Amino acid sequence: MAEETFLTDDFLRQLINVGEVDILVGLPTHNNAKTIGSIVKTIQEGILRWFPRERAVIINADGGSRDGTPELVTGISIDDVRPGSNLNALRTLHAISTRYGNSPESKTAIRTILSAAELLQAKACVVMSPESSTIEGEWLAKLLRPVRNEGYDLVSPAYRRHKFEGLLITNLLYPMTRALYGVRIREPYAQEFGFSGRFGGEFLTQNKWADATDGDGTELRFTLAAITGQHRTCQVFLGQKEYIERRGSDLVPALRQTVGPLFSAMEPDFPMWSAVAGSQPGPTLGPDHEVLLDPMRINRKRLREMFSTGVSELASVFQSILSPSTLEELRAIAGMDEADFHYSAELWAKTIYEFAASYQKAVISRDHIIQSLAPLFRGRALTFITENRNGSAEDVEKNIEILCLEFERLKPYLLQMWKSRE
Amino acid sequence: MPLTQDVLWYKDAVIYQVHVRTFYDSNDDGIGDFQGLEQKLGYLQDLGVNAIWLMPFFPSPLRDDGYDIADYTAVHSSYGTLEDFRKLLDSAHDRGIRVIIEMVLNHTSDQHPWFQESRSSRDNPRRDWYVWSDTDERYKGTRIIFLDTEKSNWAWDPISKAYYWHRFFSHQPDLNYDNPAVREQMWKVMSFWLEMGVDAFRLDAVPYLVEREGTNCENLPETHAILKDFRHRLDENFPGRMLLAEANQWPADLRPYFGNGDEFHMAFHFPLMPRMFMGLKLEDRKPITEILQQTPEIPPTCQWSLFLRNHDELTLEMVTDMERDYMYDSYAENKTMRLNLGIRRRLAPLLDNDRRRIELMNGMLMSLPGTPIIYYGDEIGMGDNINLGDRNGVRTPMQWTGGWNAGFSNTEPDRLYAPLIQNPVYGYPAVNVQAQLGSGHSLLHWMQSIIAVRRSTAVFGRGSIEFLRPANHRILAYVRRLGNESVLVVNNLSGTAQAVELDMKRYKGSIPIEMFGKNIFPRVGDLPYLLTLGPYQFYWFRLRRI
Repeated sequence: MAEETFLTDDFLRQLINVGEVDILVGLPTHNNAKTIGSIVKTIQEGILRWFPRERAVIINADGGSRDGTPELVTGISIDDVRPGSNLNALRTLHAISTRYGNSPESKTAIRTILSAAELLQAKACVVMSPESSTIEGEWLAKLLRPVRNEGYDLVSPAYRRHKFEGLLITNLLYPMTRALYGVRIREPYAQEFGFSGRFGGEFLTQNKWADATDGDGTELRFTLAAITGQHRTCQVFLGQKEYIERRGSDLVPALRQTVGPLFSAMEPDFPMWSAVAGSQPGPTLGPDHEVLLDPMRINRKRLREMFSTGVSELASVFQSILSPSTLEELRAIAGMDEADFHYSAELWAKTIYEFAASYQKAVISRDHIIQSLAPLFRGRALTFITENRNGSAEDVEKNIEILCLEFERLKPYLLQMWKSRE
Repeated sequence: MPLTQDVLWYKDAVIYQVHVRTFYDSNDDGIGDFQGLEQKLGYLQDLGVNAIWLMPFFPSPLRDDGYDIADYTAVHSSYGTLEDFRKLLDSAHDRGIRVIIEMVLNHTSDQHPWFQESRSSRDNPRRDWYVWSDTDERYKGTRIIFLDTEKSNWAWDPISKAYYWHRFFSHQPDLNYDNPAVREQMWKVMSFWLEMGVDAFRLDAVPYLVEREGTNCENLPETHAILKDFRHRLDENFPGRMLLAEANQWPADLRPYFGNGDEFHMAFHFPLMPRMFMGLKLEDRKPITEILQQTPEIPPTCQWSLFLRNHDELTLEMVTDMERDYMYDSYAENKTMRLNLGIRRRLAPLLDNDRRRIELMNGMLMSLPGTPIIYYGDEIGMGDNINLGDRNGVRTPMQWTGGWNAGFSNTEPDRLYAPLIQNPVYGYPAVNVQAQLGSGHSLLHWMQSIIAVRRSTAVFGRGSIEFLRPANHRILAYVRRLGNESVLVVNNLSGTAQAVELDMKRYKGSIPIEMFGKNIFPRVGDLPYLLTLGPYQFYWFRLRRI
């Protein structure tokens, strides 16, 4: 019954008015009033400039904003109802909004957007972040054109980032997905991505939306579904990625949204990933990354303390998750001076693989497993920062590549861990 | 059927545009003529039109299909005699059909005796009847209209060794309206035809009568003053007659041609037409409602003249570059279909011969504010021949039957003024009046029906318009109102079925009666009025309060 009432009657009415579209821009929001105005304006300009003849719609899936975010989105509609609507536009551009709940949940937001895409028979779709300060109209073209013109099903972004931004991606998600699936996608957990209506519809049907155990992280599952479904994927370089308002730096929710779904996917995807060795670069339009080197203040001492404290306080938890040798090595580096501290790529890869296997065994609560990864990640982040503190862009990339290759090299170890549970 | 005495007759008219040459050949010379047209007036009466607009039929070298006039007070011998024209006029009037003729004020043929005199010497009394110059540097800010053929608005005359001004082809020198003698002469010409009984003039190319340095030489106050003077003389001497302006301009620039109801009675709404095609292709009402929003109010005695196609190219002068590109790509992918800034195609081929789209476009033509004009042959869905030069591809013989020469002429096919349309889809064996009269569901019968419904009420010709603007942008909905009468029009511009909710609170309690089938629909209540429409479907509802 819940399935039947997922979309509200009001939203359905709005979709009827929109009708079939060529392009759909999805915009998940929650209290983004400070930023959304300029973002939707940029989106509108991008549509008018790059897709002036296409039937397009902006779909806002809002998680209960109380700051007028939806009104700011719908206000940029181009039609003949509002005076001052853009007279240079060939056609009507609907910007519609629906509230799916009282709190943000990317799973429901994405589901809403995919449902709209399916109902509107959208040919090419793009999801845009409501927080990017550096979004450009051209991003729409870059993310949609491979779908429209070249038949890709998923277009992942690549960004120019600071070398210490996105450490969870560079140190875990990218190397892990690359090693597992053999496909090099730099941003497997993207907030901006393009996709075909065909693939969106397939994911909408096949994804287990009612499964609450995976938490959020639908974006990652979307990427993995494209890979495992052998859909055509590519990457496109967008430019600099910055946030107008930085989100909270709470690591645990981030791990829940990313590592949780990644670990969860490993069981159903086992037949595929277990047969993959090494990795291949995929089609990329533009560079697959660019690195900014500006100085950045990072409290390394704090990272070091949080790592050591975690290793000490979570010892009993780690005993359930990690192999004795891995745990022993972690204890050893936890006792090192800051100057000698080094969480090696090999040890990190082994750690993650052991966590993944334990996640499958559910040796303890899966959520506790994910939470307990936080201090270890901080230790790995500290090493990455230390290694690359004075490094050039090439040095940083080289270290990321070393890490990735380590994940790939140790994949038999993962399989061994995995099979040992059986 | 006598003519109505209402001086605002043009508001209720349905006009049929026809070239004498193209319609029916009564003397087997391969060229249509006045007697032939007179013989076919019954067809036009049955169609339901109550006015015909005849393209130029004056003596002419025919280098611009008669818009290059060599004698304003005679008729071209190919079409008959002046007496034949008089008989046609009387017969039309007897059938309740008014006659609108062309009056090309702006220019003559270079073969006109006036120009021959004017160029003969700089001292000739008629020298100043045209615009001469020793340099081609004057009026630099003036655009060239026929971009495909003309490089300048000045042409060198080797006889009098000077440049003469022409806004159209170089063989069409512009008259000099700064000369009072020219103005007097042209009024005499107009009076000649009005005294004969002609009901109205379509005044050709009116924005260009006067030239002034430092301007674009269009829509100048001096031009309006001349036109107002003609109108004043018309009202004084020939009340009830009408002037129709051909001024391909933006709505705001068109508005002055109505003056305070003291200049033109009617003017073509040029910018609307391409936007109707655009709205249909985009499946979006925005282009249509926007141009109508930009259309200023006109005096109550004035009227817009609406058309889908005519003898010229589908003009794209009054659209933006982006819109023009879209129109070209949508309707004239084959570049031979393009001419100047337009598309030289007929209605049916433009709409892929899709009966539903043809009906929808005609439905809008008949229900938007203004007087509709039907181009000959479009009522049966005639095709065009893009292999003929200039705009001749849309000026081929009328297709009356599937027999010899399409029933247009008994002459040898080689003698026809233009080849017949012969292709399998639009050729005369497939598309002709006789066949369609024999088929109850033909386009011709449908056109007869919609014209009859249009003429059953004055609301379409005289009523106000209120756009409803439902959230579904594929639906163009409006209410036409005149006194206590209201008609709801709902058009689905989309090729797919659509649902639409109309805000009809203002009409709560009304009972919609569909005007073609006369069926009653559910009463308008408090809730938005829900309608579903099939692809390209439209409804006209009379809203009755009973």
